[in-house]
Amino acid sequence: MKVEVSKISKIWGSAGSGVAALDQVSHVFGSRRFSCILGPSGCGKSTLIQIIGGLEAASSGQVRIRDPARPDALRPLGADSVMVWQNLNLFPWRSVIDNIAFGLEMRGVPRAQRSERARGLIALVGLRGFEDHRPGQLSGGMRQRVALARALILERPILLMDEPFAALDAQTKIVMQEELMRIFEQTHKTVLFVTHAIEEAILLGDEVVVMTARPGCIKDTIPIDLPRPRSLELVASKEFGALFDRIFHLIRDEVMKTMQEQTIAAAGPA
Amino acid sequence: MKAPGKVAAQIGERLLPALTVVVFVLGWEFFVRARGIAPIYLPAPSAIAVQLYRMAVDGSLLHHLGLTLARIFAGFALAGVCGILVGLLMGMSRLVARVADAWIAALYPLPKISLIPLLIIWLGTGEAYKIVISAVTAFFPIVISTYAGIRQVDRGLLKTAIDLGAGRGQVQTKVVIPAAIPSILAGLQLGMGVTIILIVAAEMIGGSAQGGMGYLLISSGQVMETEKVFASLVVLAVAGAIIIKGQQWLDRKVAPWALQREDR
Repeated sequence: MKVEVSKISKIWGSAGSGVAALDQVSHVFGSRRFSCILGPSGCGKSTLIQIIGGLEAASSGQVRIRDPARPDALRPLGADSVMVWQNLNLFPWRSVIDNIAFGLEMRGVPRAQRSERARGLIALVGLRGFEDHRPGQLSGGMRQRVALARALILERPILLMDEPFAALDAQTKIVMQEELMRIFEQTHKTVLFVTHAIEEAILLGDEVVVMTARPGCIKDTIPIDLPRPRSLELVASKEFGALFDRIFHLIRDEVMKTMQEQTIAAAGPA
Repeated sequence: MKAPGKVAAQIGERLLPALTVVVFVLGWEFFVRARGIAPIYLPAPSAIAVQLYRMAVDGSLLHHLGLTLARIFAGFALAGVCGILVGLLMGMSRLVARVADAWIAALYPLPKISLIPLLIIWLGTGEAYKIVISAVTAFFPIVISTYAGIRQVDRGLLKTAIDLGAGRGQVQTKVVIPAAIPSILAGLQLGMGVTIILIVAAEMIGGSAQGGMGYLLISSGQVMETEKVFASLVVLAVAGAIIIKGQQWLDRKVAPWALQREDR
Protein backbone atom coordinates (compact mmCIF):
# COMPACT_ATOMS: atom_id res chain seq x y z
CA MET A 1 0.00 0.00 0.00
CA LYS A 2 1.32 3.37 -1.02
CA VAL A 3 0.53 6.23 1.36
CA GLU A 4 0.08 9.58 -0.33
CA VAL A 5 0.19 12.59 1.94
CA SER A 6 -0.75 15.85 0.27
CA LYS A 7 -0.49 19.35 1.72
CA ILE A 8 -1.15 18.37 5.31
CA SER A 9 -1.20 21.32 7.70
CA LYS A 10 -2.02 21.25 11.39
CA ILE A 11 -2.70 24.24 13.60
CA TRP A 12 -3.17 23.66 17.32
CA GLY A 13 -5.69 25.97 18.94
CA SER A 14 -7.89 28.40 16.99
CA ALA A 15 -7.04 29.38 13.44
CA GLY A 16 -6.01 33.00 14.12
CA SER A 17 -3.96 32.62 17.30
CA GLY A 18 -3.01 28.94 17.06
CA VAL A 19 0.42 27.36 16.83
CA ALA A 20 1.30 25.86 13.46
CA ALA A 21 2.63 22.33 13.97
CA LEU A 22 2.75 21.14 10.37
CA ASP A 23 2.96 23.24 7.23
CA GLN A 24 1.96 21.79 3.85
CA VAL A 25 3.58 18.37 4.24
CA SER A 26 3.46 16.32 1.03
CA HIS A 27 5.15 12.98 0.47
CA VAL A 28 4.52 9.60 -1.10
CA PHE A 29 5.54 6.69 1.13
CA GLY A 30 6.33 3.71 -1.10
CA SER A 31 4.48 0.44 -0.88
CA ARG A 32 6.21 -2.24 1.24
CA ARG A 33 8.97 0.19 2.05
CA PHE A 34 10.37 1.11 5.41
CA SER A 35 10.28 4.92 5.65
CA CYS A 36 11.81 6.72 8.60
CA ILE A 37 10.58 10.18 9.52
CA LEU A 38 13.40 12.01 11.27
CA GLY A 39 13.23 15.41 12.89
CA PRO A 40 14.14 17.48 15.95
CA SER A 41 11.86 17.20 18.95
CA GLY A 42 8.72 19.28 18.66
CA CYS A 43 8.79 19.30 14.84
CA GLY A 44 5.35 17.70 14.58
CA LYS A 45 6.46 14.23 13.47
CA SER A 46 4.25 12.49 16.03
CA THR A 47 1.34 14.67 14.94
CA LEU A 48 2.01 13.79 11.30
CA ILE A 49 1.98 10.04 11.90
CA GLN A 50 -1.21 10.31 13.96
CA ILE A 51 -2.88 12.25 11.16
CA ILE A 52 -1.76 9.56 8.70
CA GLY A 53 -3.27 6.92 11.00
CA GLY A 54 -6.55 8.84 11.20
CA LEU A 55 -6.12 9.38 14.95
CA GLU A 56 -5.81 13.15 14.75
CA ALA A 57 -7.60 15.47 12.37
CA ALA A 58 -5.56 17.61 9.97
CA SER A 59 -6.42 21.30 9.67
CA SER A 60 -6.12 20.93 5.90
CA GLY A 61 -4.78 18.50 3.33
CA GLN A 62 -5.46 14.80 2.90
CA VAL A 63 -4.05 11.33 3.30
CA ARG A 64 -4.90 8.66 0.74
CA ILE A 65 -3.68 5.19 0.01
CA ARG A 66 -3.17 3.45 -3.28
CA ASP A 67 -3.36 -0.30 -3.60
CA PRO A 68 -0.56 -1.42 -5.97
CA ALA A 69 -2.89 -4.10 -7.35
CA ARG A 70 -5.34 -1.38 -8.47
CA PRO A 71 -3.11 1.65 -9.12
CA ASP A 72 -5.92 3.89 -10.33
CA ALA A 73 -8.04 3.51 -7.18
CA LEU A 74 -7.12 6.16 -4.67
CA ARG A 75 -9.05 6.06 -1.41
CA PRO A 76 -8.94 7.68 2.02
CA LEU A 77 -7.13 5.74 4.70
CA GLY A 78 -9.52 3.58 6.71
CA ALA A 79 -8.64 0.52 8.73
CA ASP A 80 -5.49 -0.08 6.68
CA SER A 81 -2.99 1.06 9.27
CA VAL A 82 -2.20 0.31 12.88
CA MET A 83 -0.05 2.29 15.31
CA VAL A 84 2.67 1.28 17.73
CA TRP A 85 2.80 4.12 20.25
CA GLN A 86 5.75 5.82 21.85
CA ASN A 87 4.36 5.17 25.34
CA LEU A 88 2.99 1.77 24.23
CA ASN A 89 -0.53 2.32 25.66
CA LEU A 90 -0.88 -1.30 26.77
CA PHE A 91 -4.07 -2.05 28.72
CA PRO A 92 -2.69 -2.59 32.24
CA TRP A 93 -5.60 -4.79 33.38
CA ARG A 94 -5.24 -7.24 30.49
CA SER A 95 -2.81 -10.13 30.34
CA VAL A 96 -0.22 -10.29 27.57
CA ILE A 97 -2.37 -12.61 25.48
CA ASP A 98 -5.52 -10.52 25.99
CA ASN A 99 -3.66 -7.32 25.09
CA ILE A 100 -2.41 -8.92 21.88
CA ALA A 101 -5.85 -10.32 21.02
CA PHE A 102 -7.64 -7.00 21.72
CA GLY A 103 -8.13 -6.05 18.07
CA LEU A 104 -9.53 -9.49 17.19
CA GLU A 105 -11.86 -9.35 20.18
CA MET A 106 -13.23 -6.00 18.94
CA ARG A 107 -13.82 -7.60 15.58
CA GLY A 108 -15.87 -10.37 17.20
CA VAL A 109 -13.44 -13.25 16.55
CA PRO A 110 -14.35 -16.18 18.87
CA ARG A 111 -12.10 -16.72 21.87
CA ALA A 112 -10.53 -20.02 20.81
CA GLN A 113 -9.60 -18.64 17.42
CA ARG A 114 -8.13 -15.39 18.69
CA SER A 115 -6.12 -17.19 21.39
CA GLU A 116 -4.61 -19.40 18.74
CA ARG A 117 -3.60 -16.43 16.58
CA ALA A 118 -2.32 -14.51 19.59
CA ARG A 119 -0.13 -17.51 20.47
CA GLY A 120 1.36 -17.37 16.99
CA LEU A 121 2.28 -13.72 17.49
CA ILE A 122 3.64 -14.44 20.97
CA ALA A 123 6.00 -16.95 19.39
CA LEU A 124 7.00 -14.47 16.67
CA VAL A 125 8.01 -11.76 19.14
CA GLY A 126 9.56 -14.21 21.62
CA LEU A 127 7.18 -13.91 24.59
CA ARG A 128 6.41 -17.62 25.14
CA GLY A 129 5.78 -18.37 28.79
CA PHE A 130 4.54 -14.84 29.55
CA GLU A 131 1.02 -15.21 28.13
CA ASP A 132 -0.72 -14.63 31.46
CA HIS A 133 1.51 -11.88 32.82
CA ARG A 134 0.18 -8.36 33.03
CA PRO A 135 2.12 -5.46 31.44
CA GLY A 136 3.12 -4.19 34.90
CA GLN A 137 4.99 -7.43 35.49
CA LEU A 138 7.13 -7.16 32.34
CA SER A 139 10.38 -5.36 31.50
CA GLY A 140 10.41 -2.43 29.07
CA GLY A 141 11.64 -4.55 26.16
CA MET A 142 8.99 -7.20 26.74
CA ARG A 143 6.22 -4.60 26.87
CA GLN A 144 7.53 -3.26 23.59
CA ARG A 145 7.13 -6.75 22.09
CA VAL A 146 3.55 -6.94 23.36
CA ALA A 147 2.75 -3.61 21.70
CA LEU A 148 4.30 -4.77 18.44
CA ALA A 149 2.44 -8.11 18.49
CA ARG A 150 -0.86 -6.36 19.30
CA ALA A 151 -0.43 -4.27 16.15
CA LEU A 152 0.82 -7.10 13.91
CA ILE A 153 -2.05 -9.49 14.76
CA LEU A 154 -4.48 -7.34 12.78
CA GLU A 155 -2.46 -7.98 9.59
CA ARG A 156 -3.06 -4.47 8.34
CA PRO A 157 -0.82 -3.55 5.42
CA ILE A 158 0.51 -0.32 6.94
CA LEU A 159 2.43 -0.26 10.22
CA LEU A 160 2.88 3.14 11.89
CA MET A 161 5.52 3.40 14.61
CA ASP A 162 5.95 6.54 16.72
CA GLU A 163 9.41 6.48 18.36
CA PRO A 164 8.64 3.00 19.70
CA PHE A 165 12.14 2.36 21.08
CA ALA A 166 12.81 5.80 22.58
CA ALA A 167 12.17 4.64 26.15
CA LEU A 168 14.33 1.51 25.98
CA ASP A 169 17.85 1.16 27.33
CA ALA A 170 20.64 0.99 24.72
CA GLN A 171 21.07 -2.81 24.72
CA THR A 172 17.36 -3.61 24.59
CA LYS A 173 16.97 -1.07 21.81
CA ILE A 174 19.58 -2.86 19.65
CA VAL A 175 17.83 -6.21 20.16
CA MET A 176 14.44 -4.74 19.31
CA GLN A 177 15.78 -3.01 16.18
CA GLU A 178 17.18 -6.33 14.96
CA GLU A 179 13.87 -8.08 15.69
CA LEU A 180 11.94 -5.40 13.86
CA MET A 181 14.23 -5.78 10.83
CA ARG A 182 13.67 -9.55 10.89
CA ILE A 183 9.89 -9.11 11.15
CA PHE A 184 9.87 -6.47 8.38
CA GLU A 185 11.85 -8.73 6.08
CA GLN A 186 9.34 -11.55 6.77
CA THR A 187 6.09 -9.61 6.51
CA HIS A 188 6.94 -6.81 4.06
CA LYS A 189 4.52 -4.25 5.31
CA THR A 190 4.58 -0.58 4.48
CA VAL A 191 6.24 0.87 7.58
CA LEU A 192 6.32 4.52 8.65
CA PHE A 193 8.72 4.89 11.54
CA VAL A 194 9.13 8.15 13.47
CA THR A 195 12.44 8.65 15.24
CA HIS A 196 14.88 11.34 16.34
CA ALA A 197 17.90 9.00 16.22
CA ILE A 198 19.91 9.23 12.97
CA GLU A 199 21.59 5.80 13.33
CA GLU A 200 18.25 4.15 13.90
CA ALA A 201 16.76 5.81 10.82
CA ILE A 202 19.63 4.69 8.56
CA LEU A 203 19.82 1.19 10.02
CA LEU A 204 16.11 0.49 9.60
CA GLY A 205 14.95 2.62 6.70
CA ASP A 206 14.73 2.32 2.93
CA GLU A 207 14.47 6.08 2.99
CA VAL A 208 14.85 8.82 5.56
CA VAL A 209 12.45 11.75 5.41
CA VAL A 210 14.07 14.68 7.21
CA MET A 211 11.72 17.26 8.72
CA THR A 212 12.40 20.89 9.60
CA ALA A 213 11.89 22.57 12.97
CA ARG A 214 8.36 23.77 13.78
CA PRO A 215 6.22 24.33 11.80
CA GLY A 216 7.33 21.00 10.40
CA CYS A 217 7.64 20.42 6.72
CA ILE A 218 9.81 18.04 4.71
CA LYS A 219 13.34 19.30 4.24
CA ASP A 220 14.78 16.45 2.20
CA THR A 221 14.36 12.76 1.48
CA ILE A 222 17.45 10.55 1.53
CA PRO A 223 17.23 7.09 -0.04
CA ILE A 224 19.11 4.40 1.91
CA ASP A 225 20.41 1.83 -0.55
CA LEU A 226 22.23 -0.38 1.93
CA PRO A 227 21.70 -4.10 1.26
CA ARG A 228 19.31 -6.19 3.37
CA PRO A 229 19.31 -8.16 5.57
CA ARG A 230 21.09 -5.55 7.62
CA SER A 231 22.81 -5.96 10.94
CA LEU A 232 24.41 -3.67 13.43
CA GLU A 233 27.91 -4.13 11.94
CA LEU A 234 26.74 -1.83 9.19
CA VAL A 235 27.22 1.12 11.51
CA ALA A 236 31.00 0.79 11.13
CA SER A 237 30.92 0.86 7.30
CA LYS A 238 32.01 3.77 5.11
CA GLU A 239 28.64 4.05 3.38
CA PHE A 240 26.87 4.32 6.71
CA GLY A 241 29.26 7.05 7.83
CA ALA A 242 28.67 9.05 4.65
CA LEU A 243 24.89 8.81 5.05
CA PHE A 244 25.16 9.77 8.70
CA ASP A 245 27.21 12.89 7.86
CA ARG A 246 24.77 13.94 5.18
CA ILE A 247 21.71 13.57 7.38
CA PHE A 248 23.46 15.05 10.38
CA HIS A 249 24.21 18.24 8.46
CA LEU A 250 20.61 18.46 7.31
CA ILE A 251 19.23 18.10 10.79
CA ARG A 252 21.82 20.10 12.70
CA ASP A 253 20.48 23.44 11.46
CA GLU A 254 16.98 22.41 12.48
CA VAL A 255 18.06 21.37 15.96
CA MET A 256 19.87 24.70 16.35
CA LYS A 257 16.74 26.54 15.26
CA THR A 258 14.65 24.65 17.80
CA MET A 259 17.16 25.39 20.55
CA GLN A 260 17.29 29.08 19.68
CA GLU A 261 13.52 29.25 19.75
CA GLN A 262 13.46 27.60 23.15
CA THR A 263 16.11 30.00 24.47
CA ILE A 264 14.14 32.99 23.23
CA ALA A 265 10.95 31.59 24.71
CA ALA A 266 12.68 31.00 28.05
CA ALA A 267 14.22 34.49 28.14
CA GLY A 268 11.08 36.22 26.89
CA PRO A 269 8.50 38.04 29.00
CA ALA A 270 7.09 35.86 31.74
CA MET B 1 22.65 -14.57 53.65
CA LYS B 2 21.21 -11.99 55.96
CA ALA B 3 23.09 -11.03 59.09
CA PRO B 4 21.42 -12.41 62.25
CA GLY B 5 21.14 -8.89 63.62
CA LYS B 6 19.12 -7.83 60.60
CA VAL B 7 16.73 -10.78 60.93
CA ALA B 8 16.20 -9.96 64.58
CA ALA B 9 15.46 -6.35 63.66
CA GLN B 10 12.87 -7.50 61.12
CA ILE B 11 11.16 -9.76 63.63
CA GLY B 12 11.21 -6.90 66.11
CA GLU B 13 9.54 -4.62 63.59
CA ARG B 14 6.77 -7.18 63.06
CA LEU B 15 6.23 -7.80 66.77
CA LEU B 16 6.47 -4.23 67.98
CA PRO B 17 2.86 -3.22 67.16
CA ALA B 18 1.47 -6.26 69.02
CA LEU B 19 3.86 -5.61 71.88
CA THR B 20 2.61 -2.04 72.34
CA VAL B 21 -0.95 -3.36 72.65
CA VAL B 22 0.07 -5.93 75.26
CA VAL B 23 2.01 -3.34 77.25
CA PHE B 24 -0.91 -0.91 77.06
CA VAL B 25 -3.45 -3.48 78.28
CA LEU B 26 -1.20 -4.70 81.09
CA GLY B 27 -0.50 -1.10 82.13
CA TRP B 28 -4.22 -0.38 82.15
CA GLU B 29 -4.98 -3.45 84.28
CA PHE B 30 -2.24 -2.57 86.71
CA PHE B 31 -3.28 1.08 86.94
CA VAL B 32 -6.94 0.24 87.66
CA ARG B 33 -6.07 -2.33 90.33
CA ALA B 34 -3.36 -0.28 92.02
CA ARG B 35 -5.50 2.84 92.23
CA GLY B 36 -8.70 0.94 93.02
CA ILE B 37 -10.66 2.82 90.37
CA ALA B 38 -14.41 2.14 90.36
CA PRO B 39 -15.46 -0.05 87.37
CA ILE B 40 -18.20 2.46 86.63
CA TYR B 41 -15.52 4.93 85.49
CA LEU B 42 -12.87 2.64 84.10
CA PRO B 43 -13.26 -1.14 84.22
CA ALA B 44 -10.14 -3.29 84.12
CA PRO B 45 -9.41 -5.11 80.84
CA SER B 46 -9.99 -8.43 82.63
CA ALA B 47 -13.49 -7.28 83.65
CA ILE B 48 -14.21 -6.20 80.07
CA ALA B 49 -13.05 -9.59 78.82
CA VAL B 50 -15.36 -11.35 81.27
CA GLN B 51 -18.24 -9.15 80.14
CA LEU B 52 -17.42 -9.88 76.51
CA TYR B 53 -17.46 -13.60 77.25
CA ARG B 54 -20.84 -13.34 78.97
CA MET B 55 -22.34 -11.43 76.07
CA ALA B 56 -20.98 -13.98 73.65
CA VAL B 57 -22.41 -16.89 75.62
CA ASP B 58 -25.90 -15.46 76.20
CA GLY B 59 -26.22 -14.64 72.49
CA SER B 60 -26.80 -10.90 72.88
CA LEU B 61 -23.49 -10.04 71.22
CA LEU B 62 -24.29 -12.06 68.12
CA HIS B 63 -27.80 -10.60 68.00
CA HIS B 64 -26.71 -6.95 68.10
CA LEU B 65 -23.62 -7.40 65.94
CA GLY B 66 -25.64 -9.33 63.37
CA LEU B 67 -28.21 -6.54 63.15
CA THR B 68 -25.53 -3.88 62.77
CA LEU B 69 -23.62 -5.83 60.11
CA ALA B 70 -26.80 -6.50 58.13
CA ARG B 71 -27.62 -2.78 58.17
CA ILE B 72 -24.07 -1.82 57.20
CA PHE B 73 -24.10 -4.13 54.20
CA ALA B 74 -27.60 -3.04 53.16
CA GLY B 75 -26.67 0.66 53.31
CA PHE B 76 -23.36 0.03 51.59
CA ALA B 77 -24.94 -2.04 48.82
CA LEU B 78 -27.57 0.64 48.17
CA ALA B 79 -24.95 3.40 48.09
CA GLY B 80 -22.60 1.30 45.95
CA VAL B 81 -25.17 0.45 43.29
CA CYS B 82 -26.57 4.00 43.07
CA GLY B 83 -23.17 5.71 43.32
CA ILE B 84 -21.51 3.61 40.64
CA LEU B 85 -24.54 3.87 38.35
CA VAL B 86 -24.82 7.65 38.62
CA GLY B 87 -21.02 8.03 38.34
CA LEU B 88 -20.95 5.96 35.16
CA LEU B 89 -23.83 7.93 33.66
CA MET B 90 -22.06 11.18 34.50
CA GLY B 91 -18.90 9.89 32.86
CA MET B 92 -20.71 8.92 29.69
CA SER B 93 -23.04 11.87 29.22
CA ARG B 94 -21.97 15.46 29.52
CA LEU B 95 -25.56 16.54 30.14
CA VAL B 96 -25.98 14.17 33.09
CA ALA B 97 -22.61 15.32 34.43
CA ARG B 98 -23.65 18.98 34.25
CA VAL B 99 -26.92 18.39 36.10
CA ALA B 100 -25.56 15.96 38.69
CA ASP B 101 -22.54 18.14 39.36
CA ALA B 102 -24.73 21.03 40.54
CA TRP B 103 -26.61 18.73 42.94
CA ILE B 104 -23.43 17.16 44.27
CA ALA B 105 -21.80 20.54 44.82
CA ALA B 106 -24.82 21.64 46.86
CA LEU B 107 -25.43 18.44 48.86
CA TYR B 108 -21.95 16.99 49.39
CA PRO B 109 -20.75 19.55 51.96
CA LEU B 110 -23.97 19.23 53.97
CA PRO B 111 -23.34 17.21 57.15
CA LYS B 112 -25.54 14.18 56.54
CA ILE B 113 -26.29 13.78 60.26
CA SER B 114 -28.31 16.97 59.99
CA LEU B 115 -30.77 15.02 57.84
CA ILE B 116 -31.61 12.65 60.73
CA PRO B 117 -34.60 14.64 62.09
CA LEU B 118 -36.13 14.91 58.65
CA LEU B 119 -35.60 11.25 57.86
CA ILE B 120 -37.15 10.21 61.18
CA ILE B 121 -40.22 12.32 60.36
CA TRP B 122 -40.51 10.69 56.95
CA LEU B 123 -39.41 7.14 57.62
CA GLY B 124 -39.79 6.65 61.38
CA THR B 125 -36.97 5.11 63.40
CA GLY B 126 -37.04 1.68 61.76
CA GLU B 127 -34.70 -0.02 59.34
CA ALA B 128 -35.47 2.27 56.39
CA TYR B 129 -34.21 5.36 58.17
CA LYS B 130 -30.92 3.74 59.23
CA ILE B 131 -30.19 2.34 55.80
CA VAL B 132 -31.14 5.53 53.99
CA ILE B 133 -29.04 7.84 56.16
CA SER B 134 -25.94 5.67 55.72
CA ALA B 135 -26.54 5.13 52.01
CA VAL B 136 -27.01 8.86 51.38
CA THR B 137 -23.72 9.57 53.14
CA ALA B 138 -21.77 6.83 51.37
CA PHE B 139 -23.28 7.70 47.98
CA PHE B 140 -21.22 10.89 47.61
CA PRO B 141 -17.66 9.56 47.89
CA ILE B 142 -18.62 6.65 45.62
CA VAL B 143 -20.22 8.78 42.91
CA ILE B 144 -17.39 11.32 42.99
CA SER B 145 -14.66 8.66 42.72
CA THR B 146 -16.46 6.81 39.95
CA TYR B 147 -16.90 9.97 37.90
CA ALA B 148 -13.30 11.05 38.51
CA GLY B 149 -12.07 7.59 37.49
CA ILE B 150 -13.91 7.77 34.19
CA ARG B 151 -12.88 11.33 33.45
CA GLN B 152 -9.22 10.59 34.13
CA VAL B 153 -8.97 7.67 31.73
CA ASP B 154 -5.77 8.01 29.72
CA ARG B 155 -6.62 9.54 26.32
CA GLY B 156 -3.85 7.46 24.79
CA LEU B 157 -5.68 4.26 25.74
CA LEU B 158 -8.87 5.52 24.09
CA LYS B 159 -7.05 6.41 20.87
CA THR B 160 -5.33 3.02 20.94
CA ALA B 161 -8.62 1.17 21.31
CA ILE B 162 -10.15 3.12 18.41
CA ASP B 163 -7.07 2.43 16.29
CA LEU B 164 -7.40 -1.29 17.06
CA GLY B 165 -10.98 -1.23 15.78
CA ALA B 166 -13.11 -0.68 18.90
CA GLY B 167 -16.51 0.92 18.33
CA ARG B 168 -18.05 3.54 20.63
CA GLY B 169 -19.73 1.02 22.91
CA GLN B 170 -16.66 -1.19 23.01
CA VAL B 171 -14.47 1.75 24.02
CA GLN B 172 -16.78 2.30 27.02
CA THR B 173 -17.09 -1.32 28.15
CA LYS B 174 -13.61 -2.59 27.27
CA VAL B 175 -11.48 0.46 28.13
CA VAL B 176 -13.21 3.24 30.05
CA ILE B 177 -14.88 1.10 32.73
CA PRO B 178 -11.93 -1.25 33.40
CA ALA B 179 -9.60 1.76 33.54
CA ALA B 180 -11.87 3.39 36.14
CA ILE B 181 -12.07 0.32 38.40
CA PRO B 182 -9.19 1.28 40.75
CA SER B 183 -10.80 4.66 41.33
CA ILE B 184 -14.23 3.09 41.87
CA LEU B 185 -12.77 0.68 44.44
CA ALA B 186 -11.13 3.59 46.27
CA GLY B 187 -14.54 5.29 46.40
CA LEU B 188 -16.13 2.10 47.77
CA GLN B 189 -13.53 2.01 50.56
CA LEU B 190 -14.35 5.56 51.59
CA GLY B 191 -18.04 4.71 51.33
CA MET B 192 -17.69 1.67 53.61
CA GLY B 193 -15.95 3.78 56.25
CA VAL B 194 -18.76 6.33 56.44
CA THR B 195 -21.46 3.64 56.25
CA ILE B 196 -20.13 2.03 59.44
CA ILE B 197 -20.05 5.38 61.21
CA LEU B 198 -23.55 6.40 60.13
CA ILE B 199 -25.21 3.06 60.93
CA VAL B 200 -23.86 3.03 64.49
CA ALA B 201 -24.82 6.69 64.96
CA ALA B 202 -28.32 6.04 63.61
CA GLU B 203 -28.73 3.05 65.93
CA MET B 204 -27.93 5.32 68.89
CA ILE B 205 -30.73 7.70 67.95
CA GLY B 206 -33.20 5.05 66.81
CA GLY B 207 -35.82 3.34 68.94
CA SER B 208 -35.43 0.98 71.91
CA ALA B 209 -36.61 -2.34 70.53
CA GLN B 210 -34.49 -2.41 67.41
CA GLY B 211 -31.10 -3.45 68.74
CA GLY B 212 -27.72 -3.13 67.11
CA MET B 213 -24.29 -2.19 68.45
CA GLY B 214 -25.15 1.51 68.56
CA TYR B 215 -28.24 0.75 70.63
CA LEU B 216 -26.21 -1.53 72.91
CA LEU B 217 -23.66 1.24 73.45
CA ILE B 218 -26.13 3.97 74.27
CA SER B 219 -28.39 1.82 76.44
CA SER B 220 -25.46 0.43 78.43
CA GLY B 221 -24.08 3.93 78.85
CA GLN B 222 -27.37 5.25 80.16
CA VAL B 223 -27.43 2.70 82.99
CA MET B 224 -23.70 3.06 83.69
CA GLU B 225 -22.81 -0.46 82.60
CA THR B 226 -19.36 0.69 81.66
CA GLU B 227 -17.99 -2.82 81.09
CA LYS B 228 -20.65 -3.35 78.46
CA VAL B 229 -19.79 -0.03 76.82
CA PHE B 230 -16.14 -1.01 76.57
CA ALA B 231 -16.99 -4.52 75.40
CA SER B 232 -19.16 -3.05 72.63
CA LEU B 233 -16.38 -0.67 71.59
CA VAL B 234 -13.91 -3.54 71.35
CA VAL B 235 -16.34 -5.52 69.20
CA LEU B 236 -16.99 -2.54 66.94
CA ALA B 237 -13.27 -1.81 66.51
CA VAL B 238 -12.49 -5.43 65.64
CA ALA B 239 -15.49 -5.79 63.29
CA GLY B 240 -14.59 -2.52 61.54
CA ALA B 241 -10.98 -3.56 61.10
CA ILE B 242 -12.03 -6.94 59.66
CA ILE B 243 -14.42 -5.28 57.20
CA ILE B 244 -11.88 -2.70 56.00
CA LYS B 245 -9.01 -5.20 55.72
CA GLY B 246 -11.30 -7.69 54.00
CA GLN B 247 -12.30 -5.05 51.50
CA GLN B 248 -8.67 -4.18 50.81
CA TRP B 249 -7.92 -7.86 50.26
CA LEU B 250 -10.88 -8.16 47.90
CA ASP B 251 -9.76 -5.07 45.97
CA ARG B 252 -6.34 -6.57 45.39
CA LYS B 253 -8.04 -9.71 44.03
CA VAL B 254 -10.36 -7.73 41.77
CA ALA B 255 -7.81 -5.22 40.45
CA PRO B 256 -4.29 -6.54 41.01
CA TRP B 257 -2.91 -4.16 38.39
CA ALA B 258 -4.03 -1.07 40.32
CA LEU B 259 -1.04 -1.02 42.68
CA GLN B 260 1.77 -1.91 40.27
CA ARG B 261 1.20 0.64 37.55
CA GLU B 262 3.23 0.66 34.37
CA ASP B 263 6.05 3.14 34.75
CA ARG B 264 5.68 4.21 31.16
